[in-house]
Amino acid sequence: MSISPGGMMTFTINGVRLEVEAPPETSLIDILREKLGLTAAKEACGIGRCGACNVLMNGNLVNACLLSAWQAEGAEIVSLEGLDAFPETRLLRTALAEENAFQCGYCAPGFTMALTALFREHPEACVNDIRAALEGNICRCTGYHSIIRGALAASKALAASASSGDIDGDHHPQQ
Amino acid sequence: MSIEVLHPRSAEEALALTAGPPSAFIAGGTALHLQWERDPKAKPARLINLARLDGMREVECGPDEIRIGAMATLGALTRHAVLTESLPLLAAAIRSTAGPAVRNLATIGGNIAGRTGCLLPALLALDASLDLIEPRGPRWVPLAGWLAGTFSETALISGVIIPRNGQPTRWAHRKIGLRATFAPSLIGVAGILDVEGGRIVSARLAVGGGPVPPTRLLAAESMIAGGEITQLDWSSLHAAIREEVVAPDDKVRSGRYRRLVAANALVHGLGGTLPCRHASRTRALGKYAKRTPPALNRHSAGQRWHVRPDGPAKIAGSFPYLTDCLEPDMLVGRILRAGIPHARILVIDTSEAEAIPGVVAVVTHRDVPGRNAFGIVVQDQPAFCFDKIRYVGDAVAAVAAIDEKTAEKALSLIRVDYEPLPAVCDPEKALVGTASLVHASGNLQRQVTLSRGDVEKAFAGAAHVTEATYVTSRQMHGFMETEGGYAFVADDGTLTVAAGGQHGRRDRLQLSRILDMPEERIRVISSPTGGAFGGKDELTVQPALALLALKTGRKVRLKLSRAESVVAGVKRNPMTIRIRTACDRDGMLIANEVDVIADAGAYASLGPGVLETALEHACGPYIVPHVRTQGRLAYTNNGTCGAFRGFGANQMTYAVECQMDRLAAMAGLDPVTIRQRNMRRPQTPGYLGQKVAPTERLSAMLEAAEADPIWGLPQGPSPDGSEIVGIGMAMNYQGNGLGTLPPDPGGGALRLASDGAIEALFGTDEIGQGLLTAIQSAVAQEIGCSRDDVRPVTGDTGSTPESGSTTASRGTYIVWRVARDTAPDFTQKLLAAASGVLRRASPELAIAPGGIVERGSNSGELLMSFRQLAEALPAEELPCSATSFQFPKSDHFQSNARFIFAFGATLARVAVSRITGQTRVLDLHQHTAAGPMLDIAAYLGQIEGGSVQGLGYTLSEDAAMRGGHYLTCNLDTYAMPSIADAPQSMLVTALEELDAGDPFGPRGVGELGIGAVTAAIANAVADAIGYWPEQIPFDPEQILEAMGAGP
Repeated sequence: MSISPGGMMTFTINGVRLEVEAPPETSLIDILREKLGLTAAKEACGIGRCGACNVLMNGNLVNACLLSAWQAEGAEIVSLEGLDAFPETRLLRTALAEENAFQCGYCAPGFTMALTALFREHPEACVNDIRAALEGNICRCTGYHSIIRGALAASKALAASASSGDIDGDHHPQQ
Repeated sequence: MSIEVLHPRSAEEALALTAGPPSAFIAGGTALHLQWERDPKAKPARLINLARLDGMREVECGPDEIRIGAMATLGALTRHAVLTESLPLLAAAIRSTAGPAVRNLATIGGNIAGRTGCLLPALLALDASLDLIEPRGPRWVPLAGWLAGTFSETALISGVIIPRNGQPTRWAHRKIGLRATFAPSLIGVAGILDVEGGRIVSARLAVGGGPVPPTRLLAAESMIAGGEITQLDWSSLHAAIREEVVAPDDKVRSGRYRRLVAANALVHGLGGTLPCRHASRTRALGKYAKRTPPALNRHSAGQRWHVRPDGPAKIAGSFPYLTDCLEPDMLVGRILRAGIPHARILVIDTSEAEAIPGVVAVVTHRDVPGRNAFGIVVQDQPAFCFDKIRYVGDAVAAVAAIDEKTAEKALSLIRVDYEPLPAVCDPEKALVGTASLVHASGNLQRQVTLSRGDVEKAFAGAAHVTEATYVTSRQMHGFMETEGGYAFVADDGTLTVAAGGQHGRRDRLQLSRILDMPEERIRVISSPTGGAFGGKDELTVQPALALLALKTGRKVRLKLSRAESVVAGVKRNPMTIRIRTACDRDGMLIANEVDVIADAGAYASLGPGVLETALEHACGPYIVPHVRTQGRLAYTNNGTCGAFRGFGANQMTYAVECQMDRLAAMAGLDPVTIRQRNMRRPQTPGYLGQKVAPTERLSAMLEAAEADPIWGLPQGPSPDGSEIVGIGMAMNYQGNGLGTLPPDPGGGALRLASDGAIEALFGTDEIGQGLLTAIQSAVAQEIGCSRDDVRPVTGDTGSTPESGSTTASRGTYIVWRVARDTAPDFTQKLLAAASGVLRRASPELAIAPGGIVERGSNSGELLMSFRQLAEALPAEELPCSATSFQFPKSDHFQSNARFIFAFGATLARVAVSRITGQTRVLDLHQHTAAGPMLDIAAYLGQIEGGSVQGLGYTLSEDAAMRGGHYLTCNLDTYAMPSIADAPQSMLVTALEELDAGDPFGPRGVGELGIGAVTAAIANAVADAIGYWPEQIPFDPEQILEAMGAGP
């Protein structure tokens, strides 16, 4: 048995192993934003109901506001700041931006993270997959359709680049 | 004191730990932060983390049973192919539980152990049992038996065993919540019928979820078990389920409703028929065009589709919101809220809080140097309460401390003694003479009346009269970024307050009054902000931030938690609209009588304007000769209400447009014809007798509605009989600008910045609507430069001019007018400056993307870039042009009247559930006419976003209050639409052309999208089932009743 009496926790964030001083019940969102200055993930409800704080933990989408420090101990966390490491990211960001998927944008990091998790698992996700994958994310501005359109465009682009073997989108088709 | 977390490796070790100090087992821990928010004292001394127990996550699929380790996450189970295939009922139940990210943390054991989990009905129907580990050893127990027994704290659930009986012949699962997905359960049901050779060999039915005790319905089961499936008496089964289900009333739904929908869901889900009478179709409009009108989208926009400049950074997470400014040496501010609706303040003692180390300052009313009162219309709200409390969110004190924890502790040590006063909760009763006074001036904050013609005589002679009372809810803005920001005092004594807002200059004026400080010494940064919708129009956290920064002399940050934002923030004014409307035999309107009672809450804020706007819409866009209207705004001890997208128009449009459809039905007309007959004529005076701007497009919008392909989509009962589909429409119009009475300044400036950017300076705010992209479009178009040459600078009184408020659909006009008015002068100055530098005559030069070119040259070659030009000029000679004006006003000053309008028609196709009484919006079409679009993507975004915000307002959103306290606590108890609630299809069209000679350019559409959504949905429900819901959010119990469901 081990004990987290408060004090230090160790985890990997965006590929960097870090030791952080935090009482065990501190939520990961507070550690990211307040202690590490990683402000991409947002806190909009603090109880796991909006998805604005989504991060990946060991490859799975989770709410950083629900994760306490002791639960993240030893985990591999990827926040939005670490998405450059993923090959899907460029096409996803471009597709969302070109569709003007977001307005005030405060929910955008969470949606982008949820879509990253979806496309890493199902690069050719259809509209039903996209809707299902975004059920935990609240957007108050857009009415969701622009996000769905952006995600569908991303899915199409990812499928096209996968078939050309160039997932990060640097491939330029022959004229 | 921090919590101690223990990480046992074995179940035995975990059990042994419970012998120590008070502790709790934690599995996924997804409910912990919610519990702690509701009750901070609920934190136990120790948590026993079960996540590291060995061998608790496996799923074993044997031939006879499936065993799921208790610590398996729901996310992992949804990805388990064998499980989802062999147990479809369980898979459905898991998918209906929480959202994907939460499911990756939540465990099946945790869902069971809480005894209210959404999986319990399914697990009961599947006849699941549990592997327990108790101090004396392992034990196996049927789930039903375990649930019925008493809770043993010293047992651990190690696994769930589900028998594999082959595929059930019939199964049903349904979770009913306030919205389509990720909502707390109102009730959940699950049922399985195993049928062999036509005989029901076993039946297992279960309910549970939320306040409903999870249980099998044994009596109902035994009633049908053994019988022939074709002979099953579904209505007796329905009655038996209703009889057997134990479901309490709670704040949201009655027990009766829960029992009814449980019976409906099980009977329908298992293949029975529902005891509803068949709805009669009221009409079928056959004039729709077979072609789809041109829809706004990226494809149809072509070259006019632009990527908004702030989009990429928002998606990448690098966009700097004001609440993202978290510098290490900043103090953390917190505000003490009253938490009591009405009381006299006896004592405020901050000495204990001030004494703890790390607390740098505490401020109260004693620290307010100026006028301790603010409010956009009337200054009736104290920055910090001094004599009495008027609502739960009233600010009493604020602290600045070295960190969040210290600040929180300090709040708990501020002693405030209250003498409670009777809470005034009902706006109607607030206006009775005996009511307790919220303000000494009386509870009637504002009264608006209008009378013309002879109403009584007109009603007496009418062919058709319809009377109804429409009740609207307390909608919460729900902007994703809660109120917050930072403040500091610079060395020269200038105070900077940076907090998301909607009119920096007015915030500055209000702060200057409170602080008794000249406006020139205050800088307000109000952009950017993560959503506003009217909810950041009034001051929010700025007074506390300012006073804390001034008192400490340090940089202070402060951001409301969602829970605090719910309690403190303004909401949409709830209204009770009594309306009686009459027409003659031909459907011509002859009389309309309207009486509105609106809840102001504790302070007026913009409530008076909201009431006026509602009454400005009292007859809709129709001609009514005899009118009598009255509106009263009552102070209560409820949460303060104020500006919210639509600003009262949408409340009244709901009532008026439903009245139109009701009269149409009475007069035997279709909804288009009755509107055609009564529509106001262009170029006639407005409703208040005021002159209105040209380009009225009501007829065109009605034509678009009539031709809409929605009328050709399926209607009536759905193929499986579970829903009835209907189509409804409503006309829409929304004024732009604040109206004739309030000052409504506009303005802006263009200048060449020293780095060569063409800066477009506006005092208005980027709140998500697309101000920045609109500025780029307008300026680039007028000047001839590229969009990328334009750098919008917004919402900062230190660097931007007065542009007025970011409200009232006025921003588009401001941007367009400033670009149009300043461009000629600015262009001329740019060319003159370039002429000097290039030593060429000004007329030989022209502006092109990137810089200066030779006029008439088509080489595209720049003679000089903007940057080169800027670098060649001394700072004081950089070209600059500014303009200021009043937003166009009408000529009517007896009351507040709008001049410029945007127009629309909204159509909704909805499916009304015969199982739950809930309404699902299938299609939402919006036709709009608002002049030329500055930016198509922003325009489309406003209409689509307004549509779904209106959908939520209609179907699920209400920050309800009881006894002056909010029933809503956070986003778990406030049902904003999720993606699953968004319509399957949305279509937006735009009619851009203006009347010849119309000088007013593009109209704003910030509010147009929400205006008629409620009415269109209500009319669609009436089309489906012949019943107009008279309260929003719609009450599904009333709708079921109207459909003749139930006993």
